Amino acid sequence: MRDPYEVLGVPSTATDEEVKKAYRNLARKYHPDNYHDNPLADLAQERMKEINEAYETIQSQRKAQNGGGYSQSGYSGAYSSGTYGSYYGADPLYQRVRAAINQGNLNLADELLNSRTDRNGEWQFLKGSICYRRGWMDEAKRYFETAVQMEPDNLEYRHALDVMEGRQSAYQPEGYHAMTTTGCGNDTCSRVCGTLLCINCLTGGGFYCCC
Amino acid sequence: MFGYVRPALDKLDEENRDRFQAAYCGLCHTLGRRYGLVARMFLNYDLTILAMLLDTRCDSRACHCLVHPIRKRPCACQSAALDTAADLSVILLWWQLQDGIADHGFWKGLKYRAASLLLRRAYRKACKLRPDFDEGTRGRLDELSRLEQENCASLDRPADCFARLLAQASQGEPDPIRQRVLEQMLYHLGRWIYLVDAADDLKKDLRQGNYNPVALRFSHAEGVLTEESREELGRTLDQSVRMMAAAFELADFGEYEKVIESTVYAGLYLVGAAVLNGTFHQKRTRDKQ
Repeated sequence: MRDPYEVLGVPSTATDEEVKKAYRNLARKYHPDNYHDNPLADLAQERMKEINEAYETIQSQRKAQNGGGYSQSGYSGAYSSGTYGSYYGADPLYQRVRAAINQGNLNLADELLNSRTDRNGEWQFLKGSICYRRGWMDEAKRYFETAVQMEPDNLEYRHALDVMEGRQSAYQPEGYHAMTTTGCGNDTCSRVCGTLLCINCLTGGGFYCCC
Repeated sequence: MFGYVRPALDKLDEENRDRFQAAYCGLCHTLGRRYGLVARMFLNYDLTILAMLLDTRCDSRACHCLVHPIRKRPCACQSAALDTAADLSVILLWWQLQDGIADHGFWKGLKYRAASLLLRRAYRKACKLRPDFDEGTRGRLDELSRLEQENCASLDRPADCFARLLAQASQGEPDPIRQRVLEQMLYHLGRWIYLVDAADDLKKDLRQGNYNPVALRFSHAEGVLTEESREELGRTLDQSVRMMAAAFELADFGEYEKVIESTVYAGLYLVGAAVLNGTFHQKRTRDKQ
């Protein structure tokens, strides 16, 4: 196992606060939300695991040194992986499609989907997911839009569309703050930013706002 | 088609600006050493990024060249990755010229034919060294020209051809994890370059009656995208840049890390915005003055 301090990128003399800050920054970077449906999600998940282990190791080491006086205040283990699985969709064909997408077998997933003539919101969503995995972002977005139009209450579809429209806060390193379009300042944006501020209060930071 | 990818230099300290300069000069010298003076004239920023992605270390020395005869510039030393980048650059440039010849009539095509004649020897050599890359490039460009002939209205399909073309450059990477990261980054870099180029050429293509996927996909008035279309195109570009950034975080880019970071978190956004606002070329002319 790599030296936990090296994993977090801090010297072993770092204070508890510095360790926590470094951990949070890395956890935000490799958060499953940033890699949802990403072909490299497995690599990010490994990084996340390594970071969590390093943080836990440092914490328990320090706790032992301080005679148990150290109080654990991080949120290790709070991040879970964001793969498909626990969905309420009961249609067996769509479950097979989801499994194929998870395995990265996009041609099979596409074939299975095309065999279905009745095209509901989930069909549109899954088609969008396949496009997204391929990097076909424009078509992915259009399928997600149709899925949301057909089933406006479905949070999974809405989340996917939010990601495409840049309404989900993606990680940016300190000092960076950019988008191609200057679409900020409109209603959607301030609404999302407002929500993010609330989340910030609840979780003690960790989310970036886009404006 | 090239010249859009660059770091946001104002986000970099002097050391990292020098590294970017060193990569640029290093690739230029490598092109000169392997392919002669002519090949060096075609160098651009996009190929420099390719060199930085393939190379992770940046041992540099100060040296002169024809363009900088008095003041010495930092210049990356010879490396296998720079050699690869130079070979791939020549192949990409060659096919870009062939595309130019095919797209233009006799008179307007003359400059492409002249350039192509100058680059012919270099291309033949590069082709022998990297036959797979050359064949793959030709294959993807054939697919692309078929889509052009069909007047394909999809934005993603033609962009996918060019994206896969660039993604092939990752094939020589021996580390499987790094290879996947590079492939993903280069795919979205290719997609981004293709779409930004299409947006940039919108007016010209409409005037000349050339195929342009942005014109087919979005509403515009005589080559000027409506506000809504611009936002929509901007969002799909952003999505590719975010995918690049997410991939970037999963591999080690050594000495070039900060330069690539400033490219995927700021540089591409700035260039994309400038192209969409129509200020990209004005800015470039100003920079030169």
